[in-house]
Amino acid sequence: MGDGTEVVVRSDRISDEQVAKNELLGSVEVKDDDKEDEVFEEAIGSGNDEQEEDPKRELLETDDLPLEETRQSSKDENEVEDFEEAVGDLDETSSNEGGVKDLNVDYSVVGESHGAGEAGFDAVTPKMNGDTGEGGAGDSCGKVESRLDVVVNTEKGDTNGSNLAAEDVSIENGKTHSFLGNGIVSPKNIEVVAEVISKDDGIEEPWNDGVEVENWEERVDGVQTEQDVEDGEGTTKNLFEERTEEEVVNGAGTGKNLFENGSGSVCIDNESEAKTNGETGAAYTSDIETNASGDKSVNDSTEVASAETSSPLDKSSSGEKGETEGDSTCLKPEQQLASSLNSNPESTEIRSNSGSPGVTSRENETVRNSNGGHDVQQRPQPNKDLEKQQSSKVNVDPEIKENSHVETEAEVVSSVSPTESRSNPAALPPARPAGLGRASPLLEPASRAPQQSRVNGNGSHNQSQQAEDSTTAETDEHDETREKLQLIRVKFLRLAHRLGQTPHNVVVAQVLYRLGLAEQLRGRNGSRVGAFSFDRASAMAEQLEAAGQDPLDFSCTIMVLGKSGVGKSATINSIFDEVKFCTDAFQMGTKRVQDVEGLVQGIKVRVIDTPGLLPSWSDQAKNEKILNSVKAFIKKNPPDIVLYLDRLDMQSRDSGDMPLLRTISDVFGPSIWFNAIVGLTHAASVPPDGPNGTASSYDMFVTQRSHVIQQAIRQAAGDMRLMNPVSLVENHSACRTNRAGQRVLPNGQVWKPHLLLLSFASKILAEANALLKLQDNIPGRPFAARSKAPPLPFLLSSLLQSRPQPKLPEQQYGDEEDEDDLDESSDSDEESEYDQLPPFKSLTKAQMATLSKSQKKQYLDEMEYREKLLMKKQMKEERKRRKMFKKFAAEIKDLPDGFSENVEDESGGPASVPVPMPDLSLPASFDSDNPTHRYRYLDSSNQWLVRPVLETHGWDHDIGYEGVNAERLFVVKDKIPISVSGQVTKDKKDANVQLEMASSVKHGEGKSTSLGFDMQTVGKELAYTLRSETRFNNFRRNKAAAGLSVTLLGDSVSAGLKVEDKLIASKWFRMVMSGGAMASRGDLAYGGTLEAQLRDKDYPLGRFLTTLGLSVMDWHGDLAIGGNIQSQVPIGRSSNLIARANLNNRGAGQVSVRVNSSEQLQLAMVAIVPLFKKLLSYCYPQTQYGQ
Amino acid sequence: MAALQTPREWIGIQQFPPATQSKLLEILGKYKEEDVSSLTVLVMGKGGVGKSSTVNSVIGEKAAAVSTFQSEGLRPTLVSRSRSGFTLNIIDTPGLIEGGYVNDQAINIIKRFLLNMTIDVLLYVDRLDVYRVDDLDRQVVSAITDAFGKEIWKKSALVLTHAQFSPPDGLNYNSFVSRRSDALLKVIRTGAQLKKQDMQGSSTPIILVENSGRCHKNDSDEKILPDGTSWIPNLLNTITEISFNGNKAIHVDKKLVEGPNPNQRGKRLIPLIFAFQYLLVMKPLVRAIKSDVTRESKPAWELRDSGLASRRS
Repeated sequence: MGDGTEVVVRSDRISDEQVAKNELLGSVEVKDDDKEDEVFEEAIGSGNDEQEEDPKRELLETDDLPLEETRQSSKDENEVEDFEEAVGDLDETSSNEGGVKDLNVDYSVVGESHGAGEAGFDAVTPKMNGDTGEGGAGDSCGKVESRLDVVVNTEKGDTNGSNLAAEDVSIENGKTHSFLGNGIVSPKNIEVVAEVISKDDGIEEPWNDGVEVENWEERVDGVQTEQDVEDGEGTTKNLFEERTEEEVVNGAGTGKNLFENGSGSVCIDNESEAKTNGETGAAYTSDIETNASGDKSVNDSTEVASAETSSPLDKSSSGEKGETEGDSTCLKPEQQLASSLNSNPESTEIRSNSGSPGVTSRENETVRNSNGGHDVQQRPQPNKDLEKQQSSKVNVDPEIKENSHVETEAEVVSSVSPTESRSNPAALPPARPAGLGRASPLLEPASRAPQQSRVNGNGSHNQSQQAEDSTTAETDEHDETREKLQLIRVKFLRLAHRLGQTPHNVVVAQVLYRLGLAEQLRGRNGSRVGAFSFDRASAMAEQLEAAGQDPLDFSCTIMVLGKSGVGKSATINSIFDEVKFCTDAFQMGTKRVQDVEGLVQGIKVRVIDTPGLLPSWSDQAKNEKILNSVKAFIKKNPPDIVLYLDRLDMQSRDSGDMPLLRTISDVFGPSIWFNAIVGLTHAASVPPDGPNGTASSYDMFVTQRSHVIQQAIRQAAGDMRLMNPVSLVENHSACRTNRAGQRVLPNGQVWKPHLLLLSFASKILAEANALLKLQDNIPGRPFAARSKAPPLPFLLSSLLQSRPQPKLPEQQYGDEEDEDDLDESSDSDEESEYDQLPPFKSLTKAQMATLSKSQKKQYLDEMEYREKLLMKKQMKEERKRRKMFKKFAAEIKDLPDGFSENVEDESGGPASVPVPMPDLSLPASFDSDNPTHRYRYLDSSNQWLVRPVLETHGWDHDIGYEGVNAERLFVVKDKIPISVSGQVTKDKKDANVQLEMASSVKHGEGKSTSLGFDMQTVGKELAYTLRSETRFNNFRRNKAAAGLSVTLLGDSVSAGLKVEDKLIASKWFRMVMSGGAMASRGDLAYGGTLEAQLRDKDYPLGRFLTTLGLSVMDWHGDLAIGGNIQSQVPIGRSSNLIARANLNNRGAGQVSVRVNSSEQLQLAMVAIVPLFKKLLSYCYPQTQYGQ
Repeated sequence: MAALQTPREWIGIQQFPPATQSKLLEILGKYKEEDVSSLTVLVMGKGGVGKSSTVNSVIGEKAAAVSTFQSEGLRPTLVSRSRSGFTLNIIDTPGLIEGGYVNDQAINIIKRFLLNMTIDVLLYVDRLDVYRVDDLDRQVVSAITDAFGKEIWKKSALVLTHAQFSPPDGLNYNSFVSRRSDALLKVIRTGAQLKKQDMQGSSTPIILVENSGRCHKNDSDEKILPDGTSWIPNLLNTITEISFNGNKAIHVDKKLVEGPNPNQRGKRLIPLIFAFQYLLVMKPLVRAIKSDVTRESKPAWELRDSGLASRRS
């Protein structure tokens, strides 16, 4: 603990920001301390007794493989956990979606927890050492691995997300945010990673030999050089060096940064991967399985997609965009992790979120290994191992303070100690549990399911625990929970017992393991329960079962879905062993949704039977109808588990089931698949002949078939992490039976208990979850809306926006008139200037050609001057006319006789015929075709102004309409204008609704109040905003306004206040300043904007215009300052120069200079310069980094 | 049979047990008698029902690639084997279903592949051990009908694969087969929009097939169905019957492949339509407009404007 405090103290040095966060650090430390404890105990006295001996035996043989495996997987776990922790923090402190400008905060928090984690390890070390004696080889191994892991992260962060990393290392670095998703960076990154991995491999051997020092250094060097190369952008500090030089403080600090990189790189990773999908996959996994990484990238890209949609920000600034995505990506995993114990996300994919390719590849290996038939129970083990490693990592850190980093490590590595065996037994894959028999490969996918969410449990647990840590200990409650958990355990054992399964059954063992794990994580002193809780539960269960009284308080509802004719009703009949529903081979047996309740081995089971679904696209409407009726049916009493049935002997290829699965996902939401078991009927059928004519093995066939269905479900659910457990079903009366009359499959499995056990296991775990509150989400609705902080900066900036108040139709031009007042005085002298000019005759082109150069110039100048004057005159006339009209209108109001009709006629008459609207100005395109004609529409006389919304970023030749916009202005009592405008846009992914209603009342002299109601989609939710604003126009040159707003977003209400002042200093200069604050749930965000405009004296004619905008936003102590300046300067007669620059305090900025000219086409050649430069830069770095 | 080089000798026939061989040779003899030198069989059906496997079984060698979980591209394959001057061409086609739709592209490819060939027999393949028929089946049938015309069903047989299975509870094998084939035939009837009398002349024969290596065998080592018939000779026999059933074989020519030219359709009606438009639509319209113009009363402002205009000028 002393070390921990030291860390805190020293980190003061780093920067102010970090000081602020050290509080957090403290709390995390405590937690880690505890975790170490638990973990350790778990490693010693876990429930899997039978495994403790075999590993030792295996240890003697000291295979590379098992060790490597466990280490790898454990490392992954390590990352995942850290990541989750980080995410947990993140979630607590900030909102995910649309956190506009406080991303920096998020990141630092992310990093923080990691750093804190290390600090925590430090603290624990001595204790650990005391317990274990000297540090063991296993420990050092763990250490090496975790270090390396960090390095991998660093690499990645540096190459990919250089800026994110660099920012926190040294903010004054002042690097600009380059947009990270570009494809150029990522290949490099891949190379590096590959190298690091290979280095990693290299180390293993030396370590096994027991000689390592040189290798170590070599490796470190290698890594460093790699970094140097990659840090071409100028990150001054090599993170690794930093670590060595700057003592432990930096250890914590760097850890922070490192992790930040890790998390930062997630988003980058996603982006680049979305593009360079294939390459990435290939490069990552040159020697490893390819497909999993493919999965990963798909997964990532989908996440990015959702992240993008959920952030309602303007993503014009690249830096911001990257961050935003990173932010929401960081959060995404959390959501997923929290999904539920029953959801079966593949651990591979979860881990891949931590963003390190090295990790991914290893996971692949793990997965492959497990696919290869390794025992299931081996997998829980690595988790312990991981935590072991976390602790072992600790061993080294104190020493770092004294020595240089590399040396330390060498030492530790070399100090192979007798305690090796102590730490390693846990690390080695255990022996297979007895009684698995042949069924194990079959059960494999199923049993993986429970294991995954252990990771979930862990993550969310950390979160919850963190919350608790800040408060006091609640031991009493823990005891109570433990009792309840014990009851659940007993219940499950009884269930298993009734189904004739021993606790050694894979599924049972998994569930028990997870229950134990959850318990241990939950109760901090879980060690007390430890090993004997299982024995006790087992004994109790047997006792209760033997007594045969004490009714079992358990019921399970299973809903059966599937194609028509696969045997849904027949399966139900089989489950109950009696004909509950009549079946017919040739006709739709089940016409409507019905449920049946019954006892299976004394367990109450309710099954919902549904009509069969049809596979063809054309039948999906029918399917939808059926499924909607099912939905209505299960509304009151939702099922615990969904059983999706298909035939084992049908090869649904060519994605033939896709329409059906999609429809199911559409109707119930993808979450239905998180609780689904795949049942394969006709399981007794003979597998088809293999390619060489011989029959393929049954197990292979089943595995392949399951993969096909699981893959299809993954696609349909849009979630690549899904791994639905598969159970086999055979309803045929001729099916082989065992002595007890149970149906036995060709592989010797008795299917019914297995199916039921799987269902019950999900239910049991759901119960345990609910009890332990491991996650907020109840299973079945994993994506239910979480309560989260609203995106205050976003709301604030929309509040600060200055909106014009709605005006009465006759006052539409009021604003201009206000300004005209200022102009009026100067106008008069030029009044008749144009008329006074001598007559002027414009020349024809032929005549022009005859003029000399100077003559031409003179002529053109004269022409321009005259044009200007003419325009001025016209404007003035227009203004006058408007004023006249206004007066006229006022008069009409006074004399309400027939004359007014006339006016009506005049105003209403011309518009009564729909007239074509002017052509839209389309974005520039290289297309020779000018598609404006496609966008023509008529403007009708309807009071409602309905317009299409054009999506300008579409493809050429694509009709770019993506929405509809409707507007109307009402006038209530001739006084209060109400404007209503709504816009609905819809693209392939999501629909956006925006509705604005505003009205204003003028009261008193120069005072007006407007009231508005907005509704708009923010992310996936609708935000309702009620706002009101009052303006005071007391002074001619100064207008003040104050406003209030209340926003309801999701389930949170936020309120805001703003003050605005508009200053019109002169004809050239005007300025709008506004400031405001937004509060929600104790969260406060401040912001202010300033906009100054400097423009030509007679603006619309003189084209000179300069606008300066500044915005400041402060949220959670994170200050975001952004500024932009735009200037438009006319150059000569027909050219315009428009320069625009924006910059924010994070160094992200954009400069654009635009010149448009109507004659000097040569100017366009300027564009060649950057193009050429870019091309050159493509070639140049290659020569540099080529080797 | 344009592009047929010398087809390979039918070696696979020797792999069959002697009993089967003799039966097959007997059937081939029939063709000799009729002086028919070649026969083209088109195999179609949904994906994964066992089309290629059936082809392989009939040929007696692994001519078409079979894999359980993947479909084999979109190209049809022509397998032709000759035996003592008689050539048997079997065209194996890819599955017609993709993602819940009938794959029109696949059908087009098949059609082009078959250009200038004559289809003597169509084998429509489906599985016996599936209980239901659904809309997809109907769509497949109608797609085939659209491609080759109704007549093709008169030269067709329904092949039911996976014939070696025990029907679900309470049904005996034969009744299951008959119900299943009835259901499919009904689908064919509706899908091809055949009328009752169309079907009366020739009923589509049913052929049961079991391609699995675990197919039961009888004493003379022939593959047999649960009802004891040896199915390979039976299949060829039925094919022979169909080829001689008197209906015309379907010749796939350019017209059939490309379908009727839409530009040609109804061309002659164009003048009529013009006449109709002119006489019955335009004339009354013009008349109506004219009468409107004459009856129109000018609003006050127009009169005023015209007055002004006249005054000014």
